[in-house]
Amino acid sequence: MKSHFSILSGITLGLLALSFAGEAADGDWKRGRVYYRFVCTDCHKGGSSEIPPNSRSMAEWKAYFQADKHEKGKTSLKYYVSKAFRESIKAKNQAAAKFIDVPEDQLMKDIEAFAIRGAKDGDAPATCN
Amino acid sequence: MRKELLTMPMHCLFAWGVLACAVGLLQGAALASTADHSQFKGLQQDFKSGSAVTKICLECHTKAAGEVMASKHWSWEWPDPHSKKMLGKQNVLTSFSLGIQSNNPVCSVCHVGYGWKDNNFDFTAQENVDCLVCHDTTGTYRKQSGMAGHPPVVAMEFPPGSGNVVKPVDLKEVAQNVGKSSRDNCGACHFYGGGGDGVKHGDLDSSLAAPEKDVDVHMNALGLDFSCTECHKTTRHQVAGSRYALTATDVHGALMRGSKDDRNPSTCQACHGNASHKLARLNRHADKLACQTCHIPQYARGGIATKLTWDWSAAGRKDKDGQPLVEKDANGHVVYDAKKGSFTYGENMVPDYFWFNGKVDHLTVSDKIDPTNSVPLNRFYGSPADGASRIWPFKVMRATQPYDKVHMTMLKAHTTGNDEDSYGKSFDWHKAVTRGMQDAGKPFSGQMGFVETEMSWPITHMVAPKEQALSCVACHGAESRLAKVPGIHLPGHHAHGWLDKLGWGLAWLTLLGVIVHGAGRAFTSRKGARK
Amino acid sequence: MSERIYVFPLFERFWHWAQAILIMLLLVTGFEAHGTYRLLGFERAVDTHTAGAWALIGLWVFAIFWHFTTGEWKQYIPTLQKVDAMIKYYVFGIFTNAPHPFRLTRLHKHNPLQRLAYLGVMLFIGPLLWFTGWLYIFYGYWAAWGWEQYLSLQWISFFHTTGAFLMLLFLIVHVYLITTGHTVLSHFKAMITGWEEVD
Repeated sequence: MKSHFSILSGITLGLLALSFAGEAADGDWKRGRVYYRFVCTDCHKGGSSEIPPNSRSMAEWKAYFQADKHEKGKTSLKYYVSKAFRESIKAKNQAAAKFIDVPEDQLMKDIEAFAIRGAKDGDAPATCN
Repeated sequence: MRKELLTMPMHCLFAWGVLACAVGLLQGAALASTADHSQFKGLQQDFKSGSAVTKICLECHTKAAGEVMASKHWSWEWPDPHSKKMLGKQNVLTSFSLGIQSNNPVCSVCHVGYGWKDNNFDFTAQENVDCLVCHDTTGTYRKQSGMAGHPPVVAMEFPPGSGNVVKPVDLKEVAQNVGKSSRDNCGACHFYGGGGDGVKHGDLDSSLAAPEKDVDVHMNALGLDFSCTECHKTTRHQVAGSRYALTATDVHGALMRGSKDDRNPSTCQACHGNASHKLARLNRHADKLACQTCHIPQYARGGIATKLTWDWSAAGRKDKDGQPLVEKDANGHVVYDAKKGSFTYGENMVPDYFWFNGKVDHLTVSDKIDPTNSVPLNRFYGSPADGASRIWPFKVMRATQPYDKVHMTMLKAHTTGNDEDSYGKSFDWHKAVTRGMQDAGKPFSGQMGFVETEMSWPITHMVAPKEQALSCVACHGAESRLAKVPGIHLPGHHAHGWLDKLGWGLAWLTLLGVIVHGAGRAFTSRKGARK
Repeated sequence: MSERIYVFPLFERFWHWAQAILIMLLLVTGFEAHGTYRLLGFERAVDTHTAGAWALIGLWVFAIFWHFTTGEWKQYIPTLQKVDAMIKYYVFGIFTNAPHPFRLTRLHKHNPLQRLAYLGVMLFIGPLLWFTGWLYIFYGYWAAWGWEQYLSLQWISFFHTTGAFLMLLFLIVHVYLITTGHTVLSHFKAMITGWEEVD
């Protein structure tokens, strides 16, 4: 059993290294950035509805992604990253179309990686621009 | 995370899921590599300095440091074949910084090396080359301004006594995740030239990290998503397409991949050729215009303002409590800083247009100036008659900065740092200039004044989608962008003053004449009929 | 008493009206491209102007062929005979019901002033516009052809505009003078039916 897993894992890792240079499992902050800036800010734009990554701390972002609450719990954050959601807006949102095949969990990680990187105490505090 | 994969079936399954769609997701070859640097023993250590990482890099990439050292990115020097002058950052003057020699600890934040804090820097030591700044993919690598090009490796207060805590960089994580340079790597310096986002160039700012199509059609994050090196083709660490050696006029067709050619691969024509419009009339415009002139309708289009003026002579004001003054405008831009002077900014700016034939001259502190006029810090040569020029778009930066009243040269100054000679500390221009010129190894008479300068920056990034290229009337209308450009006749804009007046005068008189004649006929024929 | 003479064969009438429409189109679009007013927009004005110019050139090729094969070119051989009488007629006679000094025939369908005017249009105004217009159209090739050193777009534009004004003046006078026939509309009708009514 154990050896079975390690072979499987070995192949997985090998192929992963080939295809993604080993990045896929971690959050890809660059893909997250594109989703954040082209999908999230499609609604969250202008004035008070704008949520720049640097408006929160890393800890706040982590907690936010953990809680999975959107609109104070009325909806879930997962929904806005889900394939169903991306499918529903892909006609008018190129970013949703571009990332239509990215698994939901992966995409969520990507976005989180970008938010944490861009947090006010993150490695590269980011605005909405 | 990767190690956990080996033991955690859930993650393993998840990874298979990722894999299933990985093929469809691959965004070009940039991400693909046959080496997983995290597997390398040498990189599995807690690095105490950037140089320690470099030494490991060089164990395999044996020639890399030598190649970097042969580049402007390292030497900050460029021998100009036209003027025979030594140019490069070490020698040219800009409006944004008053010379690097006395300000090295700050300027070196953008040097591709570690430890250039003064004139004693060893330009031959390979471990001083900074591999990570260009090859980090984690987005966490940072060099700290004031630390002479070093990244912070432990959390520390910087500058000492400031209360500002600098986060450390995890060099192991960065080193294990190196890859090809992306827009974020190049942008870490080139977007922030002149001391802040978008400050210097006007067509380079952080909006290009993940731009919309409207901001840059080639770098469009949802479209072509070009990296910088797509145009600035880089071989052996030599980056093609320098502002010091621009190709003003490229009359050749598209550059064939793999062809042995010393042509500049970063021109528009290197990909598009010289006749890519469907309409022949537009193609023919290329004998007068650079592509950029029509296809970059404005610069600073990404929502980030660029500096347009900088008045160093205004520096030094303090508030009631004797504290250096800092003022911001409604957009949050610093418009006054006691340590630097006053600034103005602009977004969506219409460029200035000049003839340009590829020859550029840059002023150094050794060149004589005429302080009775605005001093050009650089000069783009060109004329409508030399056959080699095209009309190019430029950002013109205007400044007021120090010059030597006796030697009639521009002056360098020590403006950064926490020592008594620094203008930012002492607010004493005399001290700052004396030190600045001393470190630059140039004479200073002791008599200084301020002179207006202007500097032109060619605009070549932020190419708009074709639908947003300039329309004919932008130049051919009554209000013409090219109104001040000599040596061209613009149908629709340049009418023929007196010919038009004469022509229309005669036309109206003739019309009046035939009306009177006709009325006369009508009148007499009625009389005749009555007879 | 009036009689009718067949003066304008079908092709000539077609040539005339096609040319009339094209010239007016070229004037309207040309002066817009020149910057005198906004109507179609610069780009469409230039496109229409260029297309119209080529159409007119095509028409002229046929017209020249027609004139030489039919011998109609002889209608434009200039003469100074009776020119003074014609001028006198337009200045005085026309107001006093004096008889027209020229009697139209099939072989001489244009009066001496018309001959001079049309010849001027065809030998001077026309060529001035064609040549400068062509140089305009082929501006982009000047350098390749080695012409750039001898030509300047500014002067080409100047002479083209001059030609345009001359054509406009001709047009105004021409349109007016067609009302001076046997009746106000008889010349106009002749150019449509081919049949001219004469005294």
